[in-house]
Amino acid sequence: MQAADIATLLVNSLTWAMATFLVAAGLTLVFGTLHILNFSHGGFFMIGAYMAYSLANAIGGAPSIAVYLFGSLVAGVLVALLGLVVDRLVLRRLAGVEDAYVLIATYALLLVCEGSTKLIWGLNYHSVLPPASLDGAWLLGNAVLPKLSLFIIGAGVVVFAALEYFLNRTKPGRLVKAIAADPWMARLLGVNVRLVYTATVALGFALAGLAGGLLVSNQTLSPTLASAFVIQAFGVIIIGGMGSISGAFLGSILLGIIDAFGQWVLPGLPGLPFFVAMTLILLLRPQGLMGKAKH
Amino acid sequence: MRNPTSFIGGGLRRDLLILAAIVVLGCCVPGVLNRGLVFIAGMIWINAVFGLSFNLLFGLSGVLSFGQAMFFAAGAYATAVFTQQLGLPFIPALLLSALTGGVLAGLVGVVALRRSEGVYFAILTLAFAELVHILISNTALLGRNDGLAGLQRPRLGIGGWQVDLAAGDNFYYFIVAVCAVLIVFIRWIIDTPFGRALQAVKQDPERAEFLGIPVRLHRLVIFVLAGATTAAAGALVAPWAQIVTPDLAHWSNSTNPILYTLLGGSAYFWGPALGAVVLSAVFYLTRTLVGLSDMVTGLLLLVVVVSLPGGILGLLSRWTGGEGKR
Repeated sequence: MQAADIATLLVNSLTWAMATFLVAAGLTLVFGTLHILNFSHGGFFMIGAYMAYSLANAIGGAPSIAVYLFGSLVAGVLVALLGLVVDRLVLRRLAGVEDAYVLIATYALLLVCEGSTKLIWGLNYHSVLPPASLDGAWLLGNAVLPKLSLFIIGAGVVVFAALEYFLNRTKPGRLVKAIAADPWMARLLGVNVRLVYTATVALGFALAGLAGGLLVSNQTLSPTLASAFVIQAFGVIIIGGMGSISGAFLGSILLGIIDAFGQWVLPGLPGLPFFVAMTLILLLRPQGLMGKAKH
Repeated sequence: MRNPTSFIGGGLRRDLLILAAIVVLGCCVPGVLNRGLVFIAGMIWINAVFGLSFNLLFGLSGVLSFGQAMFFAAGAYATAVFTQQLGLPFIPALLLSALTGGVLAGLVGVVALRRSEGVYFAILTLAFAELVHILISNTALLGRNDGLAGLQRPRLGIGGWQVDLAAGDNFYYFIVAVCAVLIVFIRWIIDTPFGRALQAVKQDPERAEFLGIPVRLHRLVIFVLAGATTAAAGALVAPWAQIVTPDLAHWSNSTNPILYTLLGGSAYFWGPALGAVVLSAVFYLTRTLVGLSDMVTGLLLLVVVVSLPGGILGLLSRWTGGEGKR
């Protein structure tokens, strides 16, 4: 294995990692605060991607990078609005329901997402051209570094940094953390817990939509996008410790590297290294690498 | 808690009478409906057993598995391999397929039940099922992504008496017979002291442990039994559809018994069977508009979880005066 191969593999694994992290960030945020493992998160990510696709289509041609980013933000806002509806109609009613039923209810939501995507956008595969400035690749020696991959890696890091800053350095962010730690005490101290929950859901869904927009050029769009990504996101938040943003970040890098290098060792079994790693972590350290023991 | 926690079965005698009635009704199907619908009816029988097996875990024992498709697929592939590639007679192949599912469930259960509970167990079983899915999709002997096609329906011979199950609707009647036996077996498990102990485990694992019930062992045994009956149901699919594909092991197939069970009513013995009938009807009626079936299924499931935890049977029993119907 040459240095160039390693560099290529590394870029591939980091692209996979940051793409997955972008989806997992909202998932783990909502789980950490509301203790709802949201199966439908992948569905809303997919809807965000399709929205960005429609927007790009309306504009036509390869979008400029500004339009691409703007489209992602629009997708984020629209999906956040959907999140408010979902919160109102479904999530609020799940308080006090057993975990198993919550998981099944959010799976039902995923089905609704997939159904509406098929009804609105059809079964055909779609794709969006990347912005002209992100097309092509840089060459570093013999290593090929696609610009779109580097953009996705950058986007993942930026979103991670922004979320960490928000949660640790700003007042509303600390409020979210306080409620995640002890909603009862927060309520006693006069915090409007319901409002923070709603805001967290909106933020989590906005992250899903934003991820959809940012990743829209990275893969073809089809109604199977949701389930593929939500399982990957489950994997990384389990490895990182459910509810932890930095855990999800490190977990996605770890799983990305395991997956890419495992693929290289076992080319005949795509996806196997990912599930083996996920299974082993669940068995050996169910609280995740960063999480604290539950009991 | 709004969700019913005790598993409600009618008396054993009442459930056997209901089964007899359903079998008689089921045997009339080929007389009145066309071939396509008879095929769907056969799938409903198989799916009902799939759902009832799942509910041994969920409704009876309080264990949520998101990976039952691996046992279903194991049964289907095992039958295909045993009958087509190894040339075994069908009945032994069927029994060996059920055994395959049971052994696989034993292997998964030993590690998964030891280390996890609740949602973690659900995700862990999902991961195991995906491992099986990937292995099946990449094994040359099992036809990789194409699966195994052109499976023959068998000929049964007992002594001098021969039946060709490929002829007419014979295989449909065979499915009804095998499914009826499996349903009796599942119903019997619930009525044994072991089944009652599982209800105690579901309601309060800690107290059950304290009363001397080996909680983990009981969960493992029911997981193995459910794996075996699920595999037996899967074994019937191979000759019925005459093709097995890796999709059988995909995690979306694991959600089917969950849908049947929740929709019909997880607290009732017949819930999963009713759910299988209703969902098959939904799929059939919405088959022309792509996406509509997902939409309707998802919305139905949401309504059930959010405002109707007893499912359809729960609703019916509320209408007909609640407790009396239990």
